[in-house]
Amino acid sequence: MVTPLDIIKKKRAEAVSRIIGKGYLSTKRVYVGMATCEIAAGSDEVMRVFRDAISKGGLTDVYLSQKGCVGRCNLEPTVEIIESGKNPVRYGLITPEKAQDIIDRHLKKGEVITEWVID
Amino acid sequence: MGKEYVVTLCEGPSCIHKGSRRLRQLLEKKLEKHGIAGKVRTFLSGCLGMCAKGPIMVINPGYVIYGGVTVDDVDEIVEQHLIKDNPVARLTVKESHLYNRFFRVFGDAKFFGKQMRIALRNCGIIDPESIEDYLSLRGYEALAKVLTDMTPEDVIEELKKSGLRGRGGAGFPTGLKWQFTRAAESDEKYVICNADEGDPGAFMDRSAIEGDPHTVIEGMAIGAYAIGANKGYMYIRAEYPLAIERIQKAIDDAKKHGILGDNILGSDFSFDVEIKLGAGAFVCGEETALIHSIEGYRGMPRPRPPYPSVKGLFDKPTLINNVETWANIPVVIIDGGDWFSKVGVGKSNGTKVFAVAGRIVNTGLVEVPMGTTLREIIYDICGGIPGNKKFKAVQTGGPSGGCLPEDFLDTSIDYESLAEVGSIMGSGGMIVIDEDSCMVQMAEFFLEFTQSESCGKCTPCREGTKRMLEILTRISKGKGQDGDIEKLERLGHMIQKASLCGLGQSAPNPVLSTLKNFRDEYKEHIYNSKCRAGQCKAMLSYLITDNCIGCGACLRACPVDAITGNKKEKHLINQDICIKCGKCYEVCKFDAVAKS
Repeated sequence: MVTPLDIIKKKRAEAVSRIIGKGYLSTKRVYVGMATCEIAAGSDEVMRVFRDAISKGGLTDVYLSQKGCVGRCNLEPTVEIIESGKNPVRYGLITPEKAQDIIDRHLKKGEVITEWVID
Repeated sequence: MGKEYVVTLCEGPSCIHKGSRRLRQLLEKKLEKHGIAGKVRTFLSGCLGMCAKGPIMVINPGYVIYGGVTVDDVDEIVEQHLIKDNPVARLTVKESHLYNRFFRVFGDAKFFGKQMRIALRNCGIIDPESIEDYLSLRGYEALAKVLTDMTPEDVIEELKKSGLRGRGGAGFPTGLKWQFTRAAESDEKYVICNADEGDPGAFMDRSAIEGDPHTVIEGMAIGAYAIGANKGYMYIRAEYPLAIERIQKAIDDAKKHGILGDNILGSDFSFDVEIKLGAGAFVCGEETALIHSIEGYRGMPRPRPPYPSVKGLFDKPTLINNVETWANIPVVIIDGGDWFSKVGVGKSNGTKVFAVAGRIVNTGLVEVPMGTTLREIIYDICGGIPGNKKFKAVQTGGPSGGCLPEDFLDTSIDYESLAEVGSIMGSGGMIVIDEDSCMVQMAEFFLEFTQSESCGKCTPCREGTKRMLEILTRISKGKGQDGDIEKLERLGHMIQKASLCGLGQSAPNPVLSTLKNFRDEYKEHIYNSKCRAGQCKAMLSYLITDNCIGCGACLRACPVDAITGNKKEKHLINQDICIKCGKCYEVCKFDAVAKS
């Protein structure tokens, strides 16, 4: 008999492959905080910069996702970058201009912009 | 051969010390050798918070955690796990699987090092609008486990073992509440999630729902199964549009997956959740008022007993819990009541989420194990007070809590300890106050809030808070009278004892606790017309001293033209015009403006 546990395990496997299908295994993953607090601090504009860079600006091999609030309220909007083989980085107080810099310097050239990093 | 894997290696100082960097080099070499370097990606992470078991390696998908990995183990991990998809059992760390996923990705150890995230385990990790993200991190597994091999009694037993208590403020044992609701006989029962977060400065519930809505739904479904209900209500305030949008999407997605609705996951259990919007009345956070509001009546409390567990929504037995309580349920089910009961201290198990605000370097959302001290939250996690100012007090529990001075900073955060020192856990608001704040004004501010939110049903709360507020306003205006302090205390104790619901019973707390801990400040206001923080405008005047060089900065800054004087001569403030805004004090570079 198929139990609810069997069903949920199957659903999980399907969910994982759908996430991978969306490009989760790209070498770079970018997360933008999108809770009310982050949006109030301007994260939707930041999100747009990343989205546009991927759809129009030729930024490739990047998995972009939104996320909830991590609790770093005074440093919002936050942007996280997880890159294959490198230490993950969380940037704080990101503006659309800084987001463009992150795309040009970090994502395209691999330079971590240390002065914006929350550590 | 071999699936696609993501291997995360801990790069915390402790793991580096134990050789995590050598492990990584070796691992990458082996991946090359076996020709799977393209399929397996390696990521580094900051401290994963499991230093004692380091070096730590996490392999996804599957979320397998290896601890104490040595160079000799790498071959086995690559050949068995990464190639043959056969995890190496002897290296797996059998800790809780669900909490603290936080560290598994990021460092930021100063802020997160002392935290432990159970209720917020997915907040800021997953895309809250994606049910796939939730499912991939063992989402809805607790519900499936309950439906597969637990009876409702087993669920309640597990919950009682966990020692989980209500996170909305009162701290009633959750397992007992569930048991009472299950025991009540009725053809229909309900579960309610109380998301009517009204405390000024509190945002725990909003963040939890916005960051991980499915957890709350999963908790509610488990609760419904345990008590025998088929219908749930999510009572959420209309001021949280994004939270409402996300919880609605979560409900819709769960229905599409057969996780809500009829015959959930092929079982004979059916459950559905409906959203009810609150119109912003603070009193509707009180459970009986909330129930009236859902029924369509004016939100007013009624005397208890009967408790909602016997006679609640539409007079049927109703299980009502707070957002954070619901968010803890899946962890209790998956990791077990025994595991959960080991977190925390004394009779307070698990963790508590706090929204830390006020005069603090890192304002934010913090989840700590019970038993953490106030000092650890304020100084270690949140970085202390900005601008070299002196700490004065911390208000826990929102407008119904108490103000605790420096002597109480080492108080352990748990229900009993906080009550002992005259404050409450409350729902988790925490406001830090520095020396620039006046305690009389603080008390006045909080009482003004509760007074205007009093529903007016019972006299002690309606009339009593009004009279208390009048006295407080009088004191802060410099018109305090001999005997006011005693009057406030008498009224306060009376309101605490005689009010109908929690709102009135706790409304005097800020006043009584400041009277107890900062009595001198009240006395100074009344007898010496002095406000030591320089906040009560009635007792404040700005004067220009001989340090003035006549630069004119204050003259230009004054919004009401109260300052006169020629260039390079000492200026003068006309006290009749001055509105005491403090602009001159802020702009003066020569310390020539004095408060008195």
